[in-house]
Amino acid sequence: MSATALAPESEERTQALRKLLNRRYTFIDRKWDIVFWVTAAFVVAAAADITKLLFAGDWDFWTDWKDRQWWPMVTPFAVIIIPSALQYIQWLAWRMPTGAVYTAISMTIASWIGRIFNWDMFGGFPLAFVWPVMILAAAIWLDWVLLKTKSFVLTSLVGAFGFALILWFTNYTVLAPYLQPIDWMGLHVTVADVQGIEYVRGQTPEYLRMIEHGSLRTFLGETQYVSLAFGATLAVAGYWVGQAIGRGLAIWPIGRFIKRF
Amino acid sequence: MSTTITPESREDTRGDSSGEFPKGRGPIDWNGGWRWMFIGSFLLAGSFIGLRIYQQKFAWYKEYGLDAASDGFRTYWFNLFLGELVVVTIVTLAWWGWLIKSGQNLAAKAEAKPISKAEEVRRIAVFWGLIGATSLTLYFMASFFPNQDGVWHQTAVRDTALTPSHIVMFFWAFPLGITMTVGTYLYGRTRLPKVYSPDKGFPWSFFLLIAASVTEMMQVAMNEWGHSLWITEEIFAAPFHWPFVTYGWLASGIFALWAESLGRLLQIEDEIEEERQAVTTSDPAIA
Repeated sequence: MSATALAPESEERTQALRKLLNRRYTFIDRKWDIVFWVTAAFVVAAAADITKLLFAGDWDFWTDWKDRQWWPMVTPFAVIIIPSALQYIQWLAWRMPTGAVYTAISMTIASWIGRIFNWDMFGGFPLAFVWPVMILAAAIWLDWVLLKTKSFVLTSLVGAFGFALILWFTNYTVLAPYLQPIDWMGLHVTVADVQGIEYVRGQTPEYLRMIEHGSLRTFLGETQYVSLAFGATLAVAGYWVGQAIGRGLAIWPIGRFIKRF
Repeated sequence: MSTTITPESREDTRGDSSGEFPKGRGPIDWNGGWRWMFIGSFLLAGSFIGLRIYQQKFAWYKEYGLDAASDGFRTYWFNLFLGELVVVTIVTLAWWGWLIKSGQNLAAKAEAKPISKAEEVRRIAVFWGLIGATSLTLYFMASFFPNQDGVWHQTAVRDTALTPSHIVMFFWAFPLGITMTVGTYLYGRTRLPKVYSPDKGFPWSFFLLIAASVTEMMQVAMNEWGHSLWITEEIFAAPFHWPFVTYGWLASGIFALWAESLGRLLQIEDEIEEERQAVTTSDPAIA
């Protein structure tokens, strides 16, 4: 196909864009954009945070729950769902690969407000013990993959898989200091363990900690990688849960009415 | 080769020029059509933050929230619970009733004299303001107070279904979610007939959003039942908590509200443009 064959269409498209850009609106101005982007952030933060809290909350609350077996598995699945939904919505509406980052920023602010004003100021837990997972770097990757591939299928396979790995890597660098071994009252424990012992959680006694149990521990040093691989696989599934939400619950209802109950 | 398209430089003449509204109170002025977004958000956020400060003082510091059998609990928490139910019921019924009654009057007036485009735009701005206030309420329902509830139940013994965190979240924030979602629908149905006329049926967008707030309230019952039978200790990721998540997902219907009302806004712009061109072509002096 030659370039000249496309020229008329291209010119037509350019003129259409120019007309759209120079269109004189009477009532549409930037305030509508501001109101939308600011107010939507609240419901996006709400949806993202409640999904994280109730699917992976316990592993997100405490440093001593951020283990090698469950944390790398449940967290990516829980935190990719709403970014995926927003990717679909924003890509469909504006062709902007920004949905994951928009969700990440909204959820990060909401999570930190929750941790500062409730976990720290209300419960008295230090932020060094209750910091939330950071998903911004992983979200940038997810949006970048969508930008480059322009495909939700490829984004789910490549992007979501990488999302889980980047999520673990960027958070492990923060977690690592808390996993350093120390000698405490004659016992060999981690700094995170000492935090868990010192800051009493009256309603979550030791026997309820669903961490690092089962035969996976016998895999020697492989535990981390087995969990990561499975977590990345679950993130692919989580991505499509988010797509179903974006497609079925946000976009499909537009202009549709129930005629009879 | 790429083509750069830049907008023409011209004076911004947007806004209402009919003189229908006072200066600065037009359809798209912050103090005009957008005013109710700020007022609504301020009232809602004020009530939530006020109650959070109350929790800090009367649940922890004064320790009235720690023993449901104490006199202090009855005074400071059970009475608050009753007061919230009374206030939220009165506020809700009064607002919904006013929306329906005044909506009927507006419909009767519109039959005699159709509303102007500027007035319809103002109503869309108010509608977006209500959606924004609803979004804010959803944030307090699904992020701020669940965090507060989480830290309470990780540390304090659950000796009643009416804990200080539940009294605020389940019986103030959650009912207000229903108040806002249904109220926003009533506003759209009575003020924006070209978008949400009853003749069209019941919009799926509102069905999902209202379902989100209603199922959230209903899930409270299952939550307490689960805690009474299964495990009293708080594991946040316990399966019987998962139905709360559906609320956050169903709330995605809110995006359809923005899209539907924006569609009408673009239609209005098209109609204005058509009228402008009709005047230009029919007036020989302009043509």
